[in-house]
Amino acid sequence: MREFMDGAEAITRGALAAGCNFFAGYPITPATPILLRMLRELPKIGGVGIQGEDEIASIGMCIGAAMTGAKAMTATSGPGLSLYSENIGLGIMGEVPLVIVDVMRLGPATGGATTVAQGDVQFLRWGTSGGFPVIALCPTNAAECYALTQRAFNFAERFRTPVFIATDKEMISAQQSVETSTFENIPIADRARAPAEGEFVPYRVKRLADTPLFSPIGGAHLVRFTTSMHGERGILTKKPSNVNKTSRHLYEKIEAHRAEFELVAFDAPERAPTVVVSYGITARSMIEAARDARAAGKKVSTLTVHSLWPVPARALRDALRGATRVVVPELNFGQYRLEIERIALALDPRPQVIGVNRVDGELITPGEIEEQIL
Amino acid sequence: MGRQGETIEPVERMDGHELAETSPHHPMDRLLRRDRLPHIWCPGCGLGTALNCFLGAVIQSKLDVDQIAIVSGIGCSGRVAGYVAMDSFHTTHGRAIPFATGLKLANPKLKVVVFSGDGDLIAIGGNHFIHAARRNMDLTVICVNNFIYGMTGGQLAPTTPTEARTSTSPYGNRDHPFNLAYLAAASGAAYVARWTTLHVRRLQRAIGEALQKPGFSFVEVISPCPTLYGRWNKQKTGLEQMAFYKEHSVIQHGADPRQADIGLTGQIVVGKFVDVEKPSYLELQRR
Ligand SMILES: Cc1ncc(C[n+]2csc(CCOP(=O)(O)OP(=O)(O)O)c2C)c(N)n1
Ligand code: SF4
Repeated sequence: MREFMDGAEAITRGALAAGCNFFAGYPITPATPILLRMLRELPKIGGVGIQGEDEIASIGMCIGAAMTGAKAMTATSGPGLSLYSENIGLGIMGEVPLVIVDVMRLGPATGGATTVAQGDVQFLRWGTSGGFPVIALCPTNAAECYALTQRAFNFAERFRTPVFIATDKEMISAQQSVETSTFENIPIADRARAPAEGEFVPYRVKRLADTPLFSPIGGAHLVRFTTSMHGERGILTKKPSNVNKTSRHLYEKIEAHRAEFELVAFDAPERAPTVVVSYGITARSMIEAARDARAAGKKVSTLTVHSLWPVPARALRDALRGATRVVVPELNFGQYRLEIERIALALDPRPQVIGVNRVDGELITPGEIEEQIL
Repeated sequence: MGRQGETIEPVERMDGHELAETSPHHPMDRLLRRDRLPHIWCPGCGLGTALNCFLGAVIQSKLDVDQIAIVSGIGCSGRVAGYVAMDSFHTTHGRAIPFATGLKLANPKLKVVVFSGDGDLIAIGGNHFIHAARRNMDLTVICVNNFIYGMTGGQLAPTTPTEARTSTSPYGNRDHPFNLAYLAAASGAAYVARWTTLHVRRLQRAIGEALQKPGFSFVEVISPCPTLYGRWNKQKTGLEQMAFYKEHSVIQHGADPRQADIGLTGQIVVGKFVDVEKPSYLELQRR
């Protein structure tokens, strides 16, 4: 069936399909449509939706709910993401499954509430103290909003960590005509639970890259979760060997599974000297630019990045190998270009990396990208 | 202790002194994590008494201990979550109430108790406090009010009496403090009581009542911090602070919380100030 749908609806439907049963949020343009939908839909399925008194409360409520076993989501934009920061860290430290939608608007600070931007890309990666790895997915259309939201929940469950959906004002609020019968339903993953019998140690892992077994607050075992540096029993620690183990575990848990996060779409009908790399709303201009360029007889391939963090390094290396020119359009001063340059640096021949950037609240047009395809 | 894969390290007490031996037969043992004792609190600190009264209330209430969750923020008071043999969540500074709200909403069968300090709950977490009270959210909040930030070295709290000295009010506090009982009542709490750690039986009873109360119940525990608050304000030991409470406490059940300000030297009005029937958040949600 063909339907008119905005990204907010697609994300909401994806969340519900993934088993989301808790949502807390604070109104902020352009993320509010997600709050409204979730608060309307969740009670119908026996879930809980609540408007917090601010963003700090909203993410806190989600974290509390998640630790009883709920699948929780929240949605905000730059100013709210700033307030989430400390509790994103709690999500990492406490190993809390959680999905956070960031509907990017132009910053800094209150910036432009209704102005599109992709300025939070590095903020998502480094937005909480400590520099531990995070997972961030980025849809380019409504169908991907639906599918990637489910994936975000699955990653959150599997790795017990906050997972971001990086999207933007246009994606969330623009109605798109979509074929919903092709919406991809992804098998639901649930966090691995500790058996009801036997000893339970809240943060025990066999190997550093493992995710600990979960037992909910109010469940069969005595549990203790904490935001502070802890040993496997959730007890505060300063002992270097314990601290090292927990730090490395939080790092390895994501880094050792990088292959699982390599979500990209590589469109390369033939070997081309120019590769365009983009993500989110800007990837749509990129795809159109490539079509026009090919029609004009130019050779170009495109790589759409669906998993911004961790950087899909292998897929990027494969796509960039042999190219002489890499064009990276994005709605910021070149944040993801930094990552592309890092990869290009290690290639021989080393391609030239060129940014196409706008920070004026307008989308990058296909024409602006096509100009860079030689 | 030497558990597999993790070495337990020695605890350091807040005042840097030697740790005391623990008695092997304490009556509250079954509700405590004996492996975490002795605790870090200073001699004369009121936190042990507050915890003891809470545990006594839990035992008397006959609540299913497996269905109680304790949420603390950060601070000396926040350490309570680490000592109880109940499900616990030790959260970021000031945010215990939102986490507790999430726990309660996602699993309404839980009895969710927030146990934290005045700085944690009322300064950085003040917004969550008034809004949870306004919603009449089904939580019991126990606030240990020692008039100061203990954990971080005795800084000014929003409860510090005017003129009192702290490390960040070396010439005396120029702020007016919050009267927590009034704040809770004005914000909409269904149950509000205040006791000092001298009033152990009454405190225990109040916590017991709070645990049974649907909606937002609030118990303020006036508690000595001899190491920091006492030392700077002419009450050097816990005993001196307790003697002060004895001389200055006035029991007035049903007192208007507006009249229950706490000053540096005046009286401390204690008692049960609010106990009203009003629909709680969960009751309204079920309608
Ligand atoms: C965001 C943040 N800011 C500051 C701190 C440092 N900090 C830890 S505890 C505390 C104050 C605790 O005071 P109170 O709640 O009164 O507890 P007490 O130690 O007196 O029991 C502060 C400021 C922190 N952990 N997090
Ligand atoms: S509150 Fe004061 S007396 Fe109690 S442990 Fe902390 S510093 Fe020591």
